[in-house]
Amino acid sequence: MSILSNQKLSAFQQLLSGASKQELIWMNGYLSGLLSNGTIQQTEVEVAVAAPSVNKITIAYGTETGNSKKLAVTFAAKAKKAGITAKVVSLDQYRLNDLPKEEYFFSLISTHGEGEPPAAARKFYDHIHNNGFKLEKLKYGVLALGDTSYPLFCTAGEQVDAQLEKLGGQRIIPIQKCDVDYEHDADSWFDLLLHRLSAPPTINEVAVAAAPVVIKKSVVKKIYNGSIVTNINLNDRGSNKQTHHIEIVANDEIDYLPGDALGVVPENVAALVDPIVELLGIDRHKTYHFRHEQMTAYDLLKKKLNIFFLPERVVAKYAQLVGQDIPPAKIGLLDLIKIYPLKNNDQFGQLIEILEPIAPRLYSIASSPEAHSGEVHLTVARDRFKVNDEWKYGLCSDFLTCLPSETAIDFYIHRNSQFRLPDDDKDIIMIGPGTGVAPFRSFIAHREATGATGKSWLFFGDQHFVTDFLYQTEWQNWLETGALTQLTVAFSRDQSQKVYVQHKMMQHGQQLYEWLASGASLYVCGAKHPMSTDVEDTLMQLIEKFGNKTIEEAAQFVEQLRDEERYLKDVY
Amino acid sequence: MSQNHGPLSSTERIKQSSDNLRGTLAESLLNDVTGNIYEDDVALVRFHGMYIQDDRDRRDERAQKKLERLYSFMIRLRLPGGYLSAEQWRQMHHVAGDHSTGTIKITTRQTVQLHGVLKSHVKPTLKGFNQASLTTIATCGDINRNVLCTSNPIQSKVHAQVFEYAKAIDELLLPKTNAYYEIWLDQEKLEEKQSEEDPLYQDRYMPRKFKIAIAIPPNNDVDVLTNDIGLIAVIENDELLGFNIAIGGGMSATHGNAENYARLASVIGFADTKEKVLKTVYEILTIQRDYGNRSDRKLARLKYTVDRMGLDWWKQELINRTGFEMEAPRPFTFDSRGDYYGWQKDHEDKWHYTVFIENGRILDTEQLALKTALYEVALTDKSDFIFTCNQNLIISNVKAKNKAAVNKILQQFSIIDHTKNASLVRRNAMACVAFNTCPLALAEAQRYMPTLLTKIEPILEKHALQNERILIRMTGCPNGCSRPFAAEIGFVGTAYGKYNMLVGGDSVGLRLNKMYKESLDEAQILNELDNMLGIYKIERKNDESFGDFAHTKWLNGQPLQRTASTFADPILPVNKN
Ligand code: SRM
Ligand SMILES: Cc1cc2nc3c(=O)[nH]c(=O)nc-3n(C[C@H](O)[C@H](O)[C@H](O)COP(=O)(O)OP(=O)(O)OC[C@H]3O[C@@H](n4cnc5c(N)ncnc54)[C@H](O)[C@@H]3O)c2cc1C
Ligand SMILES: Cc1cc2nc3c(=O)[nH]c(=O)nc-3n(C[C@H](O)[C@H](O)[C@H](O)COP(=O)(O)O)c2cc1C
Ligand code: SF4
Repeated sequence: MSILSNQKLSAFQQLLSGASKQELIWMNGYLSGLLSNGTIQQTEVEVAVAAPSVNKITIAYGTETGNSKKLAVTFAAKAKKAGITAKVVSLDQYRLNDLPKEEYFFSLISTHGEGEPPAAARKFYDHIHNNGFKLEKLKYGVLALGDTSYPLFCTAGEQVDAQLEKLGGQRIIPIQKCDVDYEHDADSWFDLLLHRLSAPPTINEVAVAAAPVVIKKSVVKKIYNGSIVTNINLNDRGSNKQTHHIEIVANDEIDYLPGDALGVVPENVAALVDPIVELLGIDRHKTYHFRHEQMTAYDLLKKKLNIFFLPERVVAKYAQLVGQDIPPAKIGLLDLIKIYPLKNNDQFGQLIEILEPIAPRLYSIASSPEAHSGEVHLTVARDRFKVNDEWKYGLCSDFLTCLPSETAIDFYIHRNSQFRLPDDDKDIIMIGPGTGVAPFRSFIAHREATGATGKSWLFFGDQHFVTDFLYQTEWQNWLETGALTQLTVAFSRDQSQKVYVQHKMMQHGQQLYEWLASGASLYVCGAKHPMSTDVEDTLMQLIEKFGNKTIEEAAQFVEQLRDEERYLKDVY
Repeated sequence: MSQNHGPLSSTERIKQSSDNLRGTLAESLLNDVTGNIYEDDVALVRFHGMYIQDDRDRRDERAQKKLERLYSFMIRLRLPGGYLSAEQWRQMHHVAGDHSTGTIKITTRQTVQLHGVLKSHVKPTLKGFNQASLTTIATCGDINRNVLCTSNPIQSKVHAQVFEYAKAIDELLLPKTNAYYEIWLDQEKLEEKQSEEDPLYQDRYMPRKFKIAIAIPPNNDVDVLTNDIGLIAVIENDELLGFNIAIGGGMSATHGNAENYARLASVIGFADTKEKVLKTVYEILTIQRDYGNRSDRKLARLKYTVDRMGLDWWKQELINRTGFEMEAPRPFTFDSRGDYYGWQKDHEDKWHYTVFIENGRILDTEQLALKTALYEVALTDKSDFIFTCNQNLIISNVKAKNKAAVNKILQQFSIIDHTKNASLVRRNAMACVAFNTCPLALAEAQRYMPTLLTKIEPILEKHALQNERILIRMTGCPNGCSRPFAAEIGFVGTAYGKYNMLVGGDSVGLRLNKMYKESLDEAQILNELDNMLGIYKIERKNDESFGDFAHTKWLNGQPLQRTASTFADPILPVNKN
C-alpha cells in the first residue's frame, strides 16, 4: 500500500507518533513547501486556534502609493482576530523616542525613487541610520514592498532590516521582499509572524534570527502582453507640447482600478545602440549572461540594459573598470565610452556586469475597466529637454509616443491603493493640469459607466486653449450628459500674466470650500513641483479665507481631509 | 396683400426675445470651455458685426485630436464710403496684428474684415477699434449694412457732398440699442430703457440684411443696382441735382431653385433734396420691415417683396408714407465699374493712388510686403485711406507737396510695380472669401482665383485679348458675395473644384449674366474660355465687349435665369455707350 520501503515507513511512523499537534502541522507545511517548489518553506498555520503569548505589537508602515498602508490595516485586523492588539502607525507619524521602548515592532516599507524609502519614511530611515543608540528590547520584522523590474529591488526594506539588527534589535522573522503583486507573499509572511507570536516555535528565537533566510521566492508580478491600437498626439499644430493618447488592448482581461498606473520598461533606440556596437566592435550575436538571463549582445543593449543615462553608482563602477577618475555625475553610456574608452573591447563582458537593467516607468491609467473593457489608455507627454543646446527626448515617453499601431507591448499594473474613487454618492474635485488629467478621464468614464450620483468638478490647465486642451470634446460631452458637473480651465499662456489651476481654485474658493465642507474628496494629479505644492498652499489659503479660519485651523482642516482620505495626491 | 406668409422663422423669435440684441452674449463670452457661443447668440452676434466661424481646413484633424472645431470670429468694420484716417489705419493695423490672423481683408463692400479672432480676443479687438472711433456695429445681421459710395474722389467735384449722404444714411439707419457698448466696451447699463426705443427697427429689425449703395456716374464701381436700395447721383455741370432711386437689387440665387434669383434694382424715381432722399430711403425700409417675408429667410430680401407687391404698389405705398411723389427718373450713363489705378489728381489738386490688392488680402509675403508698406504710409500721416468695392485701396487726399514722400515708400516696397504689372484681367477680377472660413462655401474662391487667372492670362494673350478689360468674378457658392451674376464671366462654385459658368453680363452693371454651362472643372473652364475667346476675337463687332458679344452669341437673349431686364427694362434708360 505504501511506496516507502519498510525501513523508511517505520522511521516515518515513529517520527509522527512522537509529535505534538503543533509539530505535526509544522511538518505538514514543511513537506508541502518541499513539494510546491524545491525550496524550504515556512509553515502557514491556522492561527485562530493558537493562544497568543504576545498581546501587543506595533505595525509601522512607510508608503508612497498606499500599498504598505493597506497591508498594515488588514494585518492589524487579522492580529485582532488572533487576540493580538496591533497599533498601526505611519512612519512619518511615528515618535522616534518610542523606538527604544518597543518590544514587538514590525515595519512594512516600500522602495521608491532609485532605491530610496518613501518620503514619509525618510525621517525614520535616517534616524535608524545614525546609530547613536541601542535597541535592546526590540524584536522586529520587515516586509519590503518593491518591484523586481527596478535595478535596486526593495533596498529600502533591506536597509531597515539590516539597520535594526545593527542597533541590537532581534529579528524574529526573515525579511519578505514582495514584487508588485505583493498580496500573497505578504499574507503568508504575516501568517507566519502571527504563528510565531502566538506559539513561539520549539527552536529558540536566536536560532531563527541566525538561521539562513530560507524563504519561498516571491510571486513575480503579472506581465500583460498588449498591443497598441491608437497613438495620437492630442496637441494641435503650433503647440510646444506633444501629449499622446495611447490605447492598448491586451489578450487577457486587465485587472486594474481607476487610480492605478501602468508600468512599462522601454527599449533603447537603435540610433543609440548602434554607435555603441560600432565603437566597441561588439559581435551582435554573441550571447552574454545578465541577471539569470542569456541574451545576445544586441538584445541586451537594445532591450535590457540602461545605457541611456547611467546613475552615479554605475559611473563609479565604470571608473574602476577603466581605471580613470570620472566626475560622479549621471551620463549616457555612449558619451562615457567616448570620453573614457574601455581599456580594450574585451572588457565589454565586464561592462555588462556593472550595468543595470532599464527601470520601468509608470503612467496613470486614463481608462476605466467599466467603460473601456479589454483596453487600457494612457496620456503620455513626450518629455523633451535640452542637453548642451541639443534637444533630447526622455527614454520611455519617446519610446511610447513613437510606437506605431499594432506594435506589441508588455506592461504590468501598478496598484495605487490610495488614489481611489469614493462612494458613488460622494462628490469629487479633481485638480489635473497637463497629463495630470489622465486618471480623471478614468474617474469620469468610470462614474458614468457605473451611474455614480456624486457631483464632479475638474480643474484642468495647460499652456494654450486652442492647442493644448487635452480631451476637450470628451469633457464637453460629459458636461452635457452631466457625468461631469463642472469644468474650470486655466490656460497659462493665453494672456500676458500667467494663470494656473491654483489661481482658478482661489477664484472659485467660496464654492470649492463649500464642496469640501460638505464632504467632497479632493484629488491632485500631475507634476509634484511646482504644481502640487502650489495647489496645496492655495488650498490652505482658500480654506483660511472662505472658511474664515486661522492658519492653524486651516492646516487642521487639511489634516482632517487627509485622515478621512479626502485629500489624495498622485504626483510625480 | 401684406404679409401673406406662414409662422415666424426661428431667427425672428430670437431677435424679438433678445432684449435688444443682448441675448446671452455675455454668458457666451464667459464660457471658457468652448471657443463657440450659444446657439441663439450665433444670429445675434452678427448685429454686432461678427460671425462665429471655424477653420474648415482643420475640422477632421482636430476631431481626431479630440479638440473641438477651431472656432473664431470674423469681425467686420463699419466704414461708410470706405473711408479711414491714417491714425485709424495704424490702429487697425495693430489690432489686426494683436488679435487676428493678421491679414486685413478688404471686402466687396468697401470695408475690412479680420478673421480668426478667438473669443477671448473679441473684446480687446472691439475696444481697440473703439479707441480710434472705429465700430463694427450692424455690419452684419438683419439691418442696414455698410453704405457704399463711389470711392474715388477724382470722380467728381461733388464727391465730398455725395459722401456726406453715405454718412447721413448710415447714421439715420443705425440701431438704437445700447447692447454693443454694454457687452463689448463694458459701458454700464443705461437706466431708462426708453432711450433704446427704436421706431425704425422696433424689436424685430429687418426681415433680412439690407444694403444701400450710392453711385457717381459714369463710374459704377459700387455695382449700384445689386443693392436693396441704389442711389444714382444726378450731376449737371458739377452740381448735385439729386438722386435716382432704385430698389430691389440682390445677387444671391440657390442652385436648382428658381424661387431664389439674382436681380438688379429697378429705378423707381428721382428725389432732389437731402430731406426727400433720406425720407424716401427711410420709408423704403419701413415698408420692407412691415411687408418683408419673416417666415422664409430665403425669400426675405427686399427684391422678393418688390416682385411680390409690384413696383406700382411700392410707389404708391411710398407716397403714402413719405407724403410726396418722386419725380420721374433722370437718364444716367455708366462707362465702367473699374478702379483708377495709379496716381490720379482731383479738382483740388489732391492726389490719390489706387493700389491693386488681389482679392483685397492685405498681408506681407516674400514677394510683396504690402501690409508693412501701407503701415509705413500711414505713419507719415500724409494721406487718408479709402477702400473700393473692387477690394482695392486708394491712398487718398495726398497734398501735392507730400506726393513724392508717399511715392517713395510705394516705390521702395515696389507697390507701384506690383500695381502696374498686374494684368488687366487680374486687376478687374474679384473673388469672395470662401474656404477656409466661410461656412457656406462649396468651392474655393479667393485661394484659387489667382491660380486660375494665371492659366487664363496666356489664353487671352494667345488670342491677343490681353488689353480687353473682361470682368471675371468668382464665388464659392451661389450667394454671390463678389457679385458674380453681374460679371461678364461669372464662376459660381457648385462643389469642390466645380463651378457653374455664367456669361453675358454687361461691363457696366446694367445687365446680369446667365447660365452658360454647369459644374465645370478647371480643364473644362479653360477649354471653354479658349473656344469662346477665339470666336469672340474673330466675330466681335468693333469694340464690342465680351459680355455683350456673349449675350447675343451664346444666350441669344434667352434668359436662362431671370435678370434685371425681365423686371426693370421699361424704366431703365438705354446705356448711351
Ligand atoms: C467678405 C464678403 C466677400 C468678400 O470677399 O468681400 C462676404 C462674405 C460673406 N458673406 Fe456675403 N460677403 C460680402 C459681400 C456680399 C455681397 C456683395 C455686395 O453686397 O455687394 C453679396 C451679394 C449681394 C446681396 O446681398 O444680394 C453677398 C451675399 C451674401 C449672402 C446671400 C444673401 C441673400 O440674399 O441670400 C449670404 C448668405 C446669407 O446671408 O444667408 C452671405 C454671407 C456671407 C458670409 C458672412 C457667410 C456667412 O453667412 O456665414 C461670408 C463670410 C466669409 C468670410 O469668411 O469672410 N453673403 N455678400 C463681402 C463682405 C461685404 C461687407 O463688407 O459687408
Ligand atoms: C505614479 C506616476 C504616474 C505617472 N503618470 C504619468 C502620466 O500619466 N503621463 C506622463 O506623461 N507621465 C507620467 N509619469 C511620469 C513618467 O513615469 C516618466 O517619468 C516620464 O514619462 C519621463 O520618463 P522618460 O523615460 O520619458 O524620461 P527619462 O529618460 O526618465 O528622463 C527623465 C528626466 O531625466 C533627465 N535626463 C534623462 N536623460 C538625460 C540625459 N541624457 N542628459 C541629461 N538629462 C537627462 C531629464 O531631465 C529628463 O526630463 C508618472 C510617474 C509616476 C511616478
Ligand atoms: C516612482 C517609483 C519608483 C520606484 N522605485 C523602486 C525601486 O527603486 N525599487 C523597487 O524595488 N521598487 C520601486 N518601486 C515600486 C514600489 O516600491 C512598489 O510599487 C510598491 O508596491 C509601492 O508600495 P507603496 O504603495 O506602499 O509605496 C517604485 C515605484 C515608483 C512609483
Ligand atoms: S459667396 Fe458663398 S462662399 Fe463666397 S463668401 Fe459668400 S457665402 Fe461664402
